[in-house]
Amino acid sequence: MVRNGFNLGLYVVTDERLSLGRPTAEVVAAAIRGGADAVQLRAKDDLSVREQAALGRALRALTRAAGVLFLVNDRADLAAALDADGVHVGQDDLPADLARHIVGPDRLVGVSAATVEEALAAREAGADYLGVGPIYGTLTKPDAGEAVGPERITAIKARVPLPVVGIGGIGRDTIAAVMAAGADGAAVVSAIVGAADVEAAARDLKARMLAAR
Amino acid sequence: MSDGIHVLRGDAAPPRPPVPRLHLVTDRRLRGDRSLVAVVAEAARAGVGAVQLREKDLPGGALLAEAEVLRRVLGATPLLVNDRADVALAAGAAGVHLPAAGLPVGVARRLLGPWALIGRSVHGVEEARRAADEGADYVILGTIFATGSKPGRAPAGLALVAATARAVALPVIAIGGINQENAAATVAAGAHGIAVMSAILSAPSPAAATAALRAALGSEC
Repeated sequence: MVRNGFNLGLYVVTDERLSLGRPTAEVVAAAIRGGADAVQLRAKDDLSVREQAALGRALRALTRAAGVLFLVNDRADLAAALDADGVHVGQDDLPADLARHIVGPDRLVGVSAATVEEALAAREAGADYLGVGPIYGTLTKPDAGEAVGPERITAIKARVPLPVVGIGGIGRDTIAAVMAAGADGAAVVSAIVGAADVEAAARDLKARMLAAR
Repeated sequence: MSDGIHVLRGDAAPPRPPVPRLHLVTDRRLRGDRSLVAVVAEAARAGVGAVQLREKDLPGGALLAEAEVLRRVLGATPLLVNDRADVALAAGAAGVHLPAAGLPVGVARRLLGPWALIGRSVHGVEEARRAADEGADYVILGTIFATGSKPGRAPAGLALVAATARAVALPVIAIGGINQENAAATVAAGAHGIAVMSAILSAPSPAAATAALRAALGSEC
């Protein structure tokens, strides 16, 4: 079962608005060819659940064929419906313990945490991993709050025994610092889905990540 | 996604509560300066059949908190959550009401179990047939009369209620501009019941409005 051992590594989060007009499934396929270890479906608000489910089925097929983790942002019902490997919830979403109740004992529950307190609470609520950020300033999530810097990863890793992926403004020039701060992986949005050559961008980030580990 | 409901269909009636006849669909913007929970509590005391929590702009956590508060004031009156089966399950709601482009019924059924009420919004006979085929317990059919909640949408009129009720065996709940004046005609056209927003939420007395709608429906709500 996936919860017994999983590698978040290079964790790609989808964002249709940043994908330069390319279909998300195509972008994800290229990111996987470039070495992505995990993919999170984060759909735009105006996409209906039926459209999200259709996209999710395509991503599930791609990720399964490649042995890549597939997670769904926010909607635990959709995560279960798509047989995703997990759900990722933010501080404004369903609490992690209730998300766990919905996706069951075998799927991952990831939680966004900006502080040590949030990280400890997430651990208490049964989170499997943490998304810590925003590490750097980000334009993809205007509501994400103040940048916390890679040192926040170090602080959280010192107190909370959970895998951590950094998120927020991470790109080729910063991924090494995120890993050096103790992260187990790095979640990347625009530096991959917004790249002119998605596969090459993912491959470059993956190489930098592995070199910094 | 396979349909997981086959075991529930067949000759035996599903183990679910009867479909309520008077649904209150929430919209915080219509409640005036009162709290939503106060209006819902008043409607529940006056005998509303079900309350559907529909606050599309709320993130999951806030929606869950609202659902939990409403469930407490509703007591035995069923609470349905719009769109999100996960929030419905987490809140211990009686069921989920799925938008026309929402989750498949089978997915919601697998999550919520055989006792949950699962409805689907439809806009015509074909959508209603599909909802019946996928195992919905009821449909909400709209928009019947002109309404401020969905400006831009042409009202379908009672002929659509009649055509849909003839076409499917499911209870048809009419929505859109239903009020005390046209509720009885809506039921006479074949609707099992009605769903309202502003007729209760914006009424000077939600309790009196609920009672009047109940009277117009003529029996158990």
